[in-house]
Amino acid sequence: MNEVTPIVFVVDDDDAVRRALMRLIRSAGYDVEGFGSASEFLGSGPHTHRTACLILDVQLPDLNGLDLQHELNAASALLPIIFITGHGDIAMTVRAMKAGATDFLAKPIGDTDLLRAIETALRNSSQAVTSLIELDSMRDRLSRLTPREREVLALLVEGRLNKQVACELGIAEKTIKVHRARVMEKMEAHSLVELARISDKVGIARSHGQRTAR
Amino acid sequence: MNLDIELPQPRHEKFSFSTHADATIEHQTLGAPSEQAGCGEVPSSCPSLPQTRPSIRARLAMFSTGRLRRTASRHRVQQGREESRLIPDAAARQTEENKKFRDTLELLPFAVLLTDQHGQIALVNAVTEKLFGYSRDELIGKSVDLLMPAWQANFHAAQPADMTSLPLARAVGSARDQAARREDGTEFPAEITANPMSFDGEPYTFTVVIDRTERYELQRNRQELAHLTRVSTLGELAGSLAHELNQPLTAILSNVQAAQRFMTTQSVNLTEVREILQDIVADNHRASEVIRKIRALVKKSELEAAPLSLLSVVGDVALLVHSDAIVRGIRVLLRISPELPPVHGDRVQVQQVVLNLLLNAFDALESRSSLDRVVVVEATHDSAGMVRVAVRDRGMGLDHDKLDKLFMPFFTSKREGLGLGLSISRSIVEMHGGRIWAENNKDQGATFCFTLPTRVAAQHARSRHEP
Repeated sequence: MNEVTPIVFVVDDDDAVRRALMRLIRSAGYDVEGFGSASEFLGSGPHTHRTACLILDVQLPDLNGLDLQHELNAASALLPIIFITGHGDIAMTVRAMKAGATDFLAKPIGDTDLLRAIETALRNSSQAVTSLIELDSMRDRLSRLTPREREVLALLVEGRLNKQVACELGIAEKTIKVHRARVMEKMEAHSLVELARISDKVGIARSHGQRTAR
Repeated sequence: MNLDIELPQPRHEKFSFSTHADATIEHQTLGAPSEQAGCGEVPSSCPSLPQTRPSIRARLAMFSTGRLRRTASRHRVQQGREESRLIPDAAARQTEENKKFRDTLELLPFAVLLTDQHGQIALVNAVTEKLFGYSRDELIGKSVDLLMPAWQANFHAAQPADMTSLPLARAVGSARDQAARREDGTEFPAEITANPMSFDGEPYTFTVVIDRTERYELQRNRQELAHLTRVSTLGELAGSLAHELNQPLTAILSNVQAAQRFMTTQSVNLTEVREILQDIVADNHRASEVIRKIRALVKKSELEAAPLSLLSVVGDVALLVHSDAIVRGIRVLLRISPELPPVHGDRVQVQQVVLNLLLNAFDALESRSSLDRVVVVEATHDSAGMVRVAVRDRGMGLDHDKLDKLFMPFFTSKREGLGLGLSISRSIVEMHGGRIWAENNKDQGATFCFTLPTRVAAQHARSRHEP
């Protein structure tokens, strides 16, 4: 599902610093890609379906690192950010951490600190990516259901019995049994509990239920 | 024979004295030779003659009796006596003229010495006594070395003192200002102007000594102030400067740690390690370069005029404020043609002016939107032989009634400002022979400009001033 080597992005306008950081990160076995400015990084496209993290210098000539963080958070939360700065103050650190930064490191950065921060960030990213992929697949499975099957699903995960569902929808219980088997198969669920969990994650069960409960 | 006797200000309006028809004192600056004594009314105040040194006494006596022209040799003295016997009228007139000469010297507001060809003092005036703390009796007949130890060594009687004439050199004093020594052994800087003159074919040297202590003190104070403001400006920049140092240090640390990790792997990639080492060396240079630039600005050094490339001078300053600009979100654009001729000046002081104007421009952009946060430093040809540096901001501009006050000491529009930056910048620029001014841009913001002479122009000025 998520087997590609994790990648670390480095955005720092200082060529020498960027080159050195990239080497250090590569020495720890990660893929690494560097950018000289925020816009360069933004232009490199969304990096959502791969375990990754971003090492971001706060002071960038074009877009301030904190602004870039804001921009990225709006787009996706899948890319944990580790800030690095030559002269960070408390206010700046607080702002960055509140906005969800994984870490805030002062230059010069020791390798242990940096690699530990990267490890944490990548673990977070990996989890986020895994659940994203899982969610995508669930949505995909859900999209395979017919409207009637969706109605059946919504009522089933609310805990109704076949009989109750049949009554609610005004169709035969036998037909409900067929729908139910089809839903389980399409949603790749082995039990009703599993089906309920998936529906919960996809987040549509309740709305369906509410609509039908009218 | 022509004599250049250059007298410093203030000039004596009626300073002309007559010489006897056959006297060989010729002078230009002192006043045209004139038969009508311009100082006939001068009260005579002959100092008492020394009793203990017959030869000196005789010599001085000769001044007062107008027989100096005949002191050169016994023969001439003899001849002179005969002459005076023969022509008593002429002798009397001679006596009268020499007395006037002496009296006039007494009136001069600066120290005057007359020395013979062996460097022995023949005559001094009251100011000399006061300045050096010796009595007249103690000086007459002594070597001029006593008063100006360093001077005699490189003095050539026939050469007028070669005063440097570069604006910078002239304003701040030159190596030709000599140390003079008082009776108590203390030394003071003196401007010494020597001119040859002759009596009856015998060479004498007419020397004017002007005490430059105050001027040096003033100059030193100004230097001191310039240095202080420079240091305080750098103090304000400390954070940014630390960042400039921190960057290469960051790169070095990460490079080294990367290399250490690469070394632990099975197959060491030598190319990679070689590149790392190269980068470490480069970053080391980069850090020491920052330190060198800071140190150059902090250092208290003597002024040194040299040809300067504006591109490198302004570039160095731009590097020092690089981080400050980034933190403030300001872009600095340099528009300096590499073909621009070098200017003539002191590197540190010119940098101080640029630094001051740049930081002022940064301050002016404090409340502007990010689009306007641009400072342009431009260098172009100005009038002949001058180069103009302009620092343009897109800030609020300057109040018209403040434009002329900007460069006055202690005038400031900033809450924390001392009001010294621009006034010091002005004294620096003017000392270099340039000028500095401010103007509002047509569209937005203000521009501060200053001019500096190019090297060629400075050389030209020097040759023009040379006698």
